[in-house]
Amino acid sequence: MINVEQVDFCYKRNQKALNQVSLTIAPGEFIALVGRNGSGKTTLSRVMMALLQPTAGRVLVDGESLKGKKPSDVAGTVGYVFQNPDLQILAETVAEEVAYGPAAKGVAPEEVKRRVHRALELTGLAELADAYPRTLSYGQKRRLAVAAALALKPRVLILDEITGGQDAIEKEAVLSVLKRLNEEQGVTIILITHDMSTVLRYAGRAIVMAQGSVAFDGAPQALFAGSHPLAEWGLSCPAVAAVAGALLPGEAAPADAAALCQVLIEKMRRNGSCN
Amino acid sequence: MNEAVVFECFSYAYPKTEPVLNEIEFVVPRGSFTVITGPSGAGKSTICRAMAGIVPNYYGGRSAGRVLVDGEDTAGQRIADLTRFVGLVLDDYESQLVSLTVEEEILFGLYNRGLAPAEALPAMRKALNEVGLTGKEKLRLDELSGGQRQRLAIASVLAYKPDVLVLDEAASALDPEGAESLYRMLDELRRDYNLTVIVVEHELAYVLPYATQMLAVVDGRVAACGALDEAFSALWTKPELRALVPDLWQIKFTMEAYLNRKLGEWRTAAEAAAALQTVLTKGETEEYDQRRTG
Amino acid sequence: MQLTAFSKIVATMAVTLWAFLLPAPVLAGLLLLEVLMLFSAKPERSSALALASLLLFAGLMVGLQLLFSDDVVTAFLGGLRMMVMTTSFLCMFATTRIQDITQALVEKFRLPREYAFMLTAALRFIPDFLADSKATLDAQSCRGYSNSGNPIRRCLACLAVVKPLVLRAIVRSETLALSLELKGFGGQAHQTLVLQPLHVADYAFLLLLTLVTAGGAVLRFA
Repeated sequence: MINVEQVDFCYKRNQKALNQVSLTIAPGEFIALVGRNGSGKTTLSRVMMALLQPTAGRVLVDGESLKGKKPSDVAGTVGYVFQNPDLQILAETVAEEVAYGPAAKGVAPEEVKRRVHRALELTGLAELADAYPRTLSYGQKRRLAVAAALALKPRVLILDEITGGQDAIEKEAVLSVLKRLNEEQGVTIILITHDMSTVLRYAGRAIVMAQGSVAFDGAPQALFAGSHPLAEWGLSCPAVAAVAGALLPGEAAPADAAALCQVLIEKMRRNGSCN
Repeated sequence: MNEAVVFECFSYAYPKTEPVLNEIEFVVPRGSFTVITGPSGAGKSTICRAMAGIVPNYYGGRSAGRVLVDGEDTAGQRIADLTRFVGLVLDDYESQLVSLTVEEEILFGLYNRGLAPAEALPAMRKALNEVGLTGKEKLRLDELSGGQRQRLAIASVLAYKPDVLVLDEAASALDPEGAESLYRMLDELRRDYNLTVIVVEHELAYVLPYATQMLAVVDGRVAACGALDEAFSALWTKPELRALVPDLWQIKFTMEAYLNRKLGEWRTAAEAAAALQTVLTKGETEEYDQRRTG
Repeated sequence: MQLTAFSKIVATMAVTLWAFLLPAPVLAGLLLLEVLMLFSAKPERSSALALASLLLFAGLMVGLQLLFSDDVVTAFLGGLRMMVMTTSFLCMFATTRIQDITQALVEKFRLPREYAFMLTAALRFIPDFLADSKATLDAQSCRGYSNSGNPIRRCLACLAVVKPLVLRAIVRSETLALSLELKGFGGQAHQTLVLQPLHVADYAFLLLLTLVTAGGAVLRFA
């Protein structure tokens, strides 16, 4: 789907934001891209959207190089949702906002209508189609930004810290939308996040960036299993994985608190009945 | 006077809007570390603003009940006077910085309060030292990272030594490392200067090790309030609010329900693991099984 | 020894006066001096760009004058005068921090402190505003909008970008106002800032400025 081949990127002379990054992203993956601020994760995601052109190396989307391409050329395949929802709202109603992308791409009006309907259904915003976007709650604005990206029917969705500043309930609402997209529609998700419990709960693959390079690439359970220098990468271990690591050594961490409790209760039952 | 801030049945509506706070009743003891949480739009920011007297004094609007700061009603007091006691760091950490360089940002507030340079300069250096920005005095604001700007916003408030420090979503732009060190720093300040710390935070795992009490606000009303055990228990009994309980305490409540006994106040994953380890040992389980079958 | 901002402001005003007093060859020399000063203080691309745009503007002015009157000497002298004046401002901004300039304006020229603050606050928000506009433009292009096609469509697309930016700027300014309130701005308690006392070098420099101005006046009117 996306191939990143030995990519370098420099913002200023001699300051490498990306250093020889190579990655392959397969269709249908749910990837969490993590690392401390300034580690290069946002730069990497921007290179995949042609928002930045690498100083060396190349990026292929569907086997085609992004060299010389603009984000608008990539937009039909890759969608990008930015951090601040307020800065990306361009229209007067929720429905128009979602229609903006396909309309800009010259999609036929009938088809635009269909896509808007579908995107709003998927993100749970169908009832708010005629609402003024700025009156929405923060969480709803975030989902609107996702819907607007979906209207272009991307097969990859890159989301830059879209759960920051949200409470657990809102966070779950937007993440469950992503999960459904990933499982039911096969959309590849690349989630840039600081929230480690989200990584454990939702991602199938975690990529850790540190000083412009990939420091870790593998299953989140393996990342939090205890043998990796999380502090050195500016990360923390989510509570569920930390407790599981201490109580269930050698086992993969359960995804969330409820799953962990289930495992623990099972174990207690077995211990009790065996003896 | 042992209470820093007291909300007495306080209700408030901004001009031309529906009420955002309804009969808020809660007390912040001096020297406490209070966490305010709840969905966005629930009124958390308005509560912070009420403590600095911005609500109702700056915005107007309708209010009922009282907010007492240092024993005095905030209504009608000048905000500049109130900020000597309550320092507020706003949630938009970028736009609240008003100067061009780090040192000017801090000196600005000090000079406005009538300090002479001979007093202001040491106060500035001390505040920068407390937030770990020593040596960055001459830097321009756009040369700072998000985390450094956040720390500068805090330093500019700390510099005039308030008794109460209120931070509205101070960690939202920080990475886990930055958030952890921010809250560690706040707790140290609290211990060193008997500072009262009040923070708005969604990611309760960060503040769990330090919080002495919690306030959960939902739809402008107090949904849970008090010591951690009390407040989280109240949230846990309401299925629609369960998600607000941090993972560690979700584990605790689930296991408590299964074991039918209390498991202590967990602050860290290590504490939780230790407590569960003893439960997992054979003896406890047998005792439990006997109790269940017997 | 460094000159204070006050001396530099006076110098800039004096140069403006000289532009009308001194003869063309001296002005040409002065301009050369200014250009050298600018590049030694700030040897960057931005200096060259600023100078180039001034030159372009001066060229336009000369061209217009030539079009409407046939006095070649007057036209070029006008252009030269403008260059001398504006380059002196460039020199001032290249060698002096804006904060020092506003402080000198407040202290010595009795500018209200609120106005001086507005000036620095506006400068403070320029990088933030640029970052906001970049974010919005990026978001727009990621939504499939390509900056090509007919000009009317492009103008409409521009309007779509202006709105979120203006709204964000309003939110920023509201926060700024609140922040000023919290920082006790506009209160009576305010102390004078660290003063910028004039040094021997300043007095010597100011004397020099007076002498040159007087000399120029004598040359011109005597």
